[in-house]
Amino acid sequence: MISKIVLVVFLTLSLTGKEFEKKLENKHNIYTQHCIPCHEHLPYSLEKIYMLYLKTFSGELTFKASLKAFLKEPMEETSVMPDEWIENFSVKEKTILTDKELDEAIDTYWELYDVRNKLH
Amino acid sequence: MSVSKNKATNLLRSSEKSSLKRFLVLYFILVVMILSLLGTFYYQSKEKLMYSNQRTTLSNYAHEQIQQLRRLHRDFPQNTTYPRSVEFRSAVYDIERSKIFSTLTHPVLRFDKEIYRKNNFIRFMVYLDDYYLGAKYLFIEIDEDKEWYSSVIMEIFTLGTVILIVLGIFGFFFVNLFLRPMKNSMILLDDFIKDTTHELNTPISAILANVEMMDLDVMSEKNKKKLARINIAAKTVSHLYQDLTYLTLDHNRISNDEWIDLKTLIDDRVEYFAILAGSKKVTFELDLNYSTIFIDGIKIARVIDNLISNAIKYNKRGGNIEIILRKDYFMVKDSGIGIEAEKVDDIFERYTRFNSSEGGFGIGLNIVKSIIEEYSLKISVSSILREGTIIRVDFLKGTVDDK
Repeated sequence: MISKIVLVVFLTLSLTGKEFEKKLENKHNIYTQHCIPCHEHLPYSLEKIYMLYLKTFSGELTFKASLKAFLKEPMEETSVMPDEWIENFSVKEKTILTDKELDEAIDTYWELYDVRNKLH
Repeated sequence: MSVSKNKATNLLRSSEKSSLKRFLVLYFILVVMILSLLGTFYYQSKEKLMYSNQRTTLSNYAHEQIQQLRRLHRDFPQNTTYPRSVEFRSAVYDIERSKIFSTLTHPVLRFDKEIYRKNNFIRFMVYLDDYYLGAKYLFIEIDEDKEWYSSVIMEIFTLGTVILIVLGIFGFFFVNLFLRPMKNSMILLDDFIKDTTHELNTPISAILANVEMMDLDVMSEKNKKKLARINIAAKTVSHLYQDLTYLTLDHNRISNDEWIDLKTLIDDRVEYFAILAGSKKVTFELDLNYSTIFIDGIKIARVIDNLISNAIKYNKRGGNIEIILRKDYFMVKDSGIGIEAEKVDDIFERYTRFNSSEGGFGIGLNIVKSIIEEYSLKISVSSILREGTIIRVDFLKGTVDDK
C-alpha cells in the first residue's frame, strides 16, 4: 500500500517537474522560433538591438513595456533603429504572437542580454 | 543706605528668587536656541561652500565616467569591465532605481539630492541623457576632507560660548534693572517696619505692666471684661512687636543656645495666649511629655508663639487647639478654616496671609521657617479646608536631650 502511495507521489512529482521544464523550453522556444529566424540574417544582431533599446529605455519594466508596445504596433517614429536601417529594411510587421507569448519572448530576450550579469 | 539695600536684596522672597531663576533659565534656553539656530545656519552655509568647492572636481569625475560608460556601452559585450578610477568610486542605477553596477562603499539610498555627505564620503549624482548600459543615475563618491568640519565646529563652539557669556552678562544686568523697583519696595517696607517697631516698645510695655498691676478684686465684672479686652489687644500688639523686632533687629544677632524645657515653655506660652483664645472661646488640649532641646530661647519662643497665635487667629469660634509634645517632635493641631492644598507651600512666604480679614503682616510663619532652617529642624504642614491644620516640628537627633 505504502509503496503504491510512494509511486503515485513520485510519478506526480516527476510529471510536474517535466511540465515545468516543458514550459521553460516552450518559453525559450517562442523567442527562438519567432525572433531569431528573422534577425539572424540581418546586419544588426539581436544583442546590438538590445543595447540600442537599453540606451533609449532605462530600467527593466520600461524596456519591456516599450519593446512590447513597438512589437505590437511597429512605427518609424517609435523605432530605435537608425534611419539608414529603416530606409534599407523598413519597419517590421506587426507581431502575430499573443500578449502572453510576447511577454515570454521579451522576458527571454531581457534575461539573455541583461548587462548586470555580465559586468564585472 | 547701601547697607539697607544689601539687606533688602537678601530679603528677596523665595518666590521672587524662583521667578528670577525661572526668568534666567528661560532666557538661557532662548539664547541657546537662537545660538543653535545661528550655528546651524552658519554650518549649512559652510557646508554649501564646501560643496561648491567640491562640485567642480566631482563634475569632472562624472564627465570622465560618462565618457567611459559611453565607450563601454559601444564595445559591449566584447568589453564587460566596469570603468574604475583611483580618485573616486562610482555606481550606476537605472530609471527604476535598481542597481546596475557599483563600486561604492555603501548602497545608494538617496536619489533626491545632487550632492550630500554620508559616512565620511561625499556623493555627487548626475542624470544621464543617454542611458549607457541602461543607467539613468550616475553616482560619484569621494572621501570627505574632515578638516573643514572640525574648523567649523570649533568656530561655532568658540563663537557661541563668547556670545553666550556676553548675552548672559546682559541678561543678568537687565534682570537686575527690572527687579530694582521690586527691591525698592521691599526696602521701603522693611524700613517702615523697622522705624515703627522702635516706637511700639515703650507704650506696649507700659500697657501690659499696668494691666498686670491692676487690682481685679475691687473691679466690677463689667470693667474686668473691658480690662481683659485691653489685655488681649495689648498682647496681640506685643506679639506683633516681638515678631517685628525679631525680623528687623534680632535675627542677625548671635544665637545664645541652651537647653530649653519645652514642656514648661509651651505651658507658659499657652497661659500667655489663654485670654486671647478665650475671647474666641477656643480651648486648649495639651498632651505634653517632657522634652528639652538645645536652642536659643527667644527663637524657639517665636516658633511656639507664632504657631499658637496662628492656631487661634485662624480657628473658628468655640474651636479647639491640640498641642502634643513628645521627645523628638511637637505638633499644633487646630480646628480652624484650613488651607487650600495648592496654597500650603506658600504659607511660609513673607507677607502672605491666608485670610485678609485677619490682622497681621503675614510675617509669623516666615520667621518660623527661618528659625527652623537655621537649626535644621523639619516642619511639615497638613491641612484640610474647613476642617483644620496640623503643623508638626520634628527635632533632629543631637538637638534633643536623649537622656
